[in-house]
Amino acid sequence: MALIVAHNIKKHYRMGEVTVHALRGVDFTLYDGELVVVLGHSGSGKSTLVNIVGGMDQASAGELYFQETPLHNAGEAGLTVYRRNEVGFIFQFYNLMPNLTAYENVHLSVQIAANPLDIDTLLDQVGLSDRKEHFPSQLSGGEQQRVAIARALAKNPRLLLCDEPTGSLDLPTGKQILKLLRDFCSQYNKAVVVITHNTNISYMADRVIYLKDGLVEGIKENTEPLPPEKVSW
Amino acid sequence: MLWKKMFRDIWSNRGSYLACLLLVVLGLMVFTSFSIASDNLSLSQQDFYREENFADGFAELTAMPYRDVEALADIEGLDQVSGRVTREVRVLRPEGDLGIYLELVSLELDDPERLNDARLLEGRELKKGESEVWIDNQFYNVHGLEIGYQLEVIAGERARELTVEGHAMSPEFTYPLRTEAEIYPNPEQYGIAFVSRDTMWNLFPDLQGRVNDLAFTLEEGAEFEEVKDHLKPELEPYGLINLYPREDQVSHLILSEEVAQLQRMSSALPLMFLSIAALILYIMLKRLVEQQRGQIGILKAFGYSKKEIMIHYLAYALTVGFTGGLLGGLIGIYLANPLTWLLLEFFHVPEMYEGFSLYYLVLGVFISLGIFLVAGYQGCKYALRLKPAEAMRPPAPVSGRKTILEKIWLFAEMLTIQGKMAVRNLARNRSRTAFLFLGMTLSCAVVVVTWSLNDLVDKLVFHRFEEVEVYHARVNLAEPLSRKKVEGELLDHAEVIQAESLAEVPVKLSHAWREENVMLLGISQGSYMYIIRDAAGNRVELPEQGIILSERLADKLDVVPGSLLELESLYLRDNEDYLTVEVSRVVPQYLGMNAYMELSALEDILNQGEFATAVMVNVDQGGDNLGQASKSNDNAAIDYNIAELRERYLESDLVAGVDGTEEKIREARKLMETFGSAIYLFVLVGVITAFAIIYSSSFIILSERSRELASMKVLGMTSGEVFSVITFEQWVISFFAVLAGIPLAQMMMEAFSRELSTDLYTVPADLSTQALLMGAAITAVSIWIAQRFALRKVRKLDLVQVLKTRE
Repeated sequence: MALIVAHNIKKHYRMGEVTVHALRGVDFTLYDGELVVVLGHSGSGKSTLVNIVGGMDQASAGELYFQETPLHNAGEAGLTVYRRNEVGFIFQFYNLMPNLTAYENVHLSVQIAANPLDIDTLLDQVGLSDRKEHFPSQLSGGEQQRVAIARALAKNPRLLLCDEPTGSLDLPTGKQILKLLRDFCSQYNKAVVVITHNTNISYMADRVIYLKDGLVEGIKENTEPLPPEKVSW
Repeated sequence: MLWKKMFRDIWSNRGSYLACLLLVVLGLMVFTSFSIASDNLSLSQQDFYREENFADGFAELTAMPYRDVEALADIEGLDQVSGRVTREVRVLRPEGDLGIYLELVSLELDDPERLNDARLLEGRELKKGESEVWIDNQFYNVHGLEIGYQLEVIAGERARELTVEGHAMSPEFTYPLRTEAEIYPNPEQYGIAFVSRDTMWNLFPDLQGRVNDLAFTLEEGAEFEEVKDHLKPELEPYGLINLYPREDQVSHLILSEEVAQLQRMSSALPLMFLSIAALILYIMLKRLVEQQRGQIGILKAFGYSKKEIMIHYLAYALTVGFTGGLLGGLIGIYLANPLTWLLLEFFHVPEMYEGFSLYYLVLGVFISLGIFLVAGYQGCKYALRLKPAEAMRPPAPVSGRKTILEKIWLFAEMLTIQGKMAVRNLARNRSRTAFLFLGMTLSCAVVVVTWSLNDLVDKLVFHRFEEVEVYHARVNLAEPLSRKKVEGELLDHAEVIQAESLAEVPVKLSHAWREENVMLLGISQGSYMYIIRDAAGNRVELPEQGIILSERLADKLDVVPGSLLELESLYLRDNEDYLTVEVSRVVPQYLGMNAYMELSALEDILNQGEFATAVMVNVDQGGDNLGQASKSNDNAAIDYNIAELRERYLESDLVAGVDGTEEKIREARKLMETFGSAIYLFVLVGVITAFAIIYSSSFIILSERSRELASMKVLGMTSGEVFSVITFEQWVISFFAVLAGIPLAQMMMEAFSRELSTDLYTVPADLSTQALLMGAAITAVSIWIAQRFALRKVRKLDLVQVLKTRE
C-alpha cells in the first residue's frame, strides 16, 4: 500500500502584498522504505509540497492521503495527530530550541511520541554521545543538524521529511548527514523525502521527483542509487 | 522540557520579568494588607458595638427630668432609652497647660445592660456618687496618668478633683473630636471621662435630677425617621438641640468611612498595579510569541497541539502571576498588623488582629492568576492561530517607504542615517511604537499623580488655615449667645483687636430624595476673618439671600447654583417643618462639608434674633502688653495674647474654649509628618512603577533588534552610535508620551479624588505645575537609566552568534 498519495495538489498563499501560486496541480505517491528526492530550483514549490505532505500546511485544492486516511480535509486536530505520530521533520537551519541542550531537544520530541526510540542510542548513532549536555550555541552546524536528525527520528515516525538538510553544511558534514538519512531509511524501513536544489544529491535517491514552477515535471527511478559517501558537490 | 524552556526564557529576560513581578507584588501586598486591616477594624467595630450596646440614636437637650426618660420607651419603635448627663470640663495640669478638655459622660452604674457602655481596660468599678472617673485610653496614655491619679478640673465654675480609677474605651468615642471643625483626634488636648450619674449631679448642681443627653435603641424593624417623628414632639419641650441616628454619629461615621475606604483602596490600588503589570506582560508575551514564531512552528511540526503550546506560553504569565501573588500576599499579611496598629493610633477600638489570613492569600493569588491568564491569552493567541508552515516562515517584511516627515526636505536633511532609521522604525512598527508610547505615558501619569499627593497635605490643611480661616484664635461658646454682647466684651480686652461672630447651626438639607445633615455656617458679609474662596482662590462674597454649598455637598445633593433646597433645623423658631432656600454658589472645600449663609440672613430665617456660637478674634501682634516676650517675634506675641485670653475665661461656663490657629497649624504639621512618610512611600512606588514599565519595554525592544544592531556594529559603528538609533526613538516617543501623560494623570487624579474623598475631607483633583514637572523629569531619568542598562547589553552583543542565527 502506498504511504502517501497526492492528487492534483494546488496551493496559493499571500505573502505581504503578493499572492504566490506555489503549487499548480501536483500528483505523486510515496512508499515505505524508499528515499525520495524532490528536486527543483528555488521557487519551484518544493518546500510548499513538503509542508503539505507533512501536515504543516493545507492544500488550497486537491487530495492527499496518508495510507487511506484523507488529509486534505482534516481539521487542525487531525493534522496535529498526524504530525505527532507519523511525521518527522528536518530543516535547513536546524531550528533547535536555543535554550535546551542537545539531549533536551531530543527529549522534547520523545515526550509526545507514542512509541519513541531511546534518546541515548540515537545520540550515539549520530555521534553526539559526548555532546548531549551542550546547548545549540556550543555546537557546530553539523552537530546541530545531527541533533535535529536525532530529534526527528526519536518519534519513530513513518515518514521523515528533510528540507535542504545539507544546505548550511560543508561537503564532508553534509555527506555524514545524508548517510544518516540513508541508514535510517534502510534500517527502519521508513520513507525519507529530501528536498533540494542540488542535483548531485538526487543520485543517492531511490526516486527523484522533478518540480518546476509548481508542477511535477517528471519522476525518475534510480535503479542503482549512489551511496551517500560517493555523492559530491 | 517546555517547562525548562520557559524558565530559561524567563531567566534570560529576567530584568523585564522582575519589573513585572515587582508590580504584582506591590499590588497584592496592598490588597492583602489593606483587606486584613479593614477586616480587623470592621470586626473590632462590630464586636465592640455589640458587646457595649452601642445606641441606634442620640438626642441632645437643654435639660429633661430623669424620671421622664423611662416613659419614652413606650414610644412605638423604641426599645431601650438611656438618659445621661454630659458636660465638657477644663483640665488643670501641673505643667500649666491650658486648653486641655475632657468630655464627662455619665454611666448608668445600676444597669448592667446600659447603652453605650465603656469597656474597662484596667482599674476597678466606679462607685456611685464618688469623685472618681474612668479616662479614655488614649488620653490616659498620652498624659502618662496612673490609677489613683488626682485629676483637677473646672466643673460648675469651681476647681474639683477627680480620682482616676481606670481607663476605658467606648463605641461612642472611637474617634473623639472636640468640634465639627476638627479632623483628627487630639488626645493631648481632648479626651473622654466616664463618671457615675450621681457624680455628675454633684459636679453640676444646675443639672441635679435632670439629664441633657439621650441614647436609645430601636426595636427590630423600626426605622429611625418614623421613630423620630414620634420622639421629636416629646423632646421639644425640653429644649431639643439635636436628634440624629447612629449613621450621623461622628465617631461611627468616621470609623465606618475608614473601613469602607480601606476596602475601596484594597481593590482600587491593587487593580491599578495589576493592570499595569498585566499590560507589560501582555506586551512581553506578544513580542515573545512573535520572536519565537519559528520555535512555535517547530513545536507544531512535531505534533504539539495548539492547546499544549498555549499552555506553555500561558505558563509564562501564570508563573509571574502566581509568584507575585504569593509573595505579595505573604508580605501583605506581614504588613497588616503594623497597618492595623497605625489605624489604632487614631481609632479607639479594641485591638483585633486576624493574623495569618489564608482567605486573602488564596484570593489574592487567584485574582492575580485570573488577570494574568487573560493578559497571557491575549498576548499569545495570535501566533498560535498560524499554521505550522506559516509560523516557520519569517513574517513578511514591513513595506519599504520613506515616512511623511522625511518628505519635508529640511527635516530630512537634519537627520543622520541613524535618525532616518529611527524615524522609519517608529512609523513602520506601529505596535512597538504604541507599546512604548503607552508605557511612558502611564509612567509619567503615575508619577504625576503620586507626586500630587504631596500637594494634598498643603491643600487640605494649610489652605484652610492660611487662606480661608485667617484669624488668630476662635472663642467657642458653650451655647448660642448675643453676638453683639460677646463681640463687645471681647473687644474690651486689651489683647483683642478684632472680633467677628460666627454662627454654626446644625441643619438638614434636602433635594428630591437626597438629604444631608451638615453644619450651616453664618458669616458676616465682607468678613475679613472667614474668607470663602472659589477654585481660583478668589474671594467669594456671601449673597444677601441664598446659600453657598461646598462642592462635595452640592454633588451629594445633586444641585447646582439656582437649585432649591429644603432646610430643616431644630433651631427654626417658627415651628415650620422646613424652609426653602436657593443655592447661589458652589465652592471648593477641602476639609469638612459645610454650607454657608450670610449671618443676618441666617438669623432672619431662623427668627432667633442675633446670636453667635463662636467668635473669631485677632489679637495684638506685638503691643505693649507683651511683658517678657520679644516685640519682634509675632508668633510669640500672638501665642502670649491667646494664652491671656484663655486664662480670662478659664472658669467661665459660657466659653467652651479658646483655640489658637497657629497651634492648630503646628499640630497639623506634626500629624502630617506621619502622613508625609506614607506619601513619600507612594511617590517611591510611583517612581518604581514608572521605571519598571520603561525598563521592561526597553529590553523587549532591544531583544527584537539585536540582529539589526549587531549588523551595524559589524559595519564599524561604535556601541554609542548604534544605540543612538534606539535612544532617538525613545526620546521622540517620550516627548509625546509626557504630553499625553498630562490628561491621563488628570483622569487618574479625578478617579482618586472620587474614591478617597469623604465627608471629612475632599481630595482635590487638580494637578500642580510642580507635579507635572516632576512627572516629566522622573520619566526622563527613568528612560536615561534604562538606556544605560540597555547600552551595556548592546556593548556585550555577541556579533558572531547573533548574526549566525537565522532571523
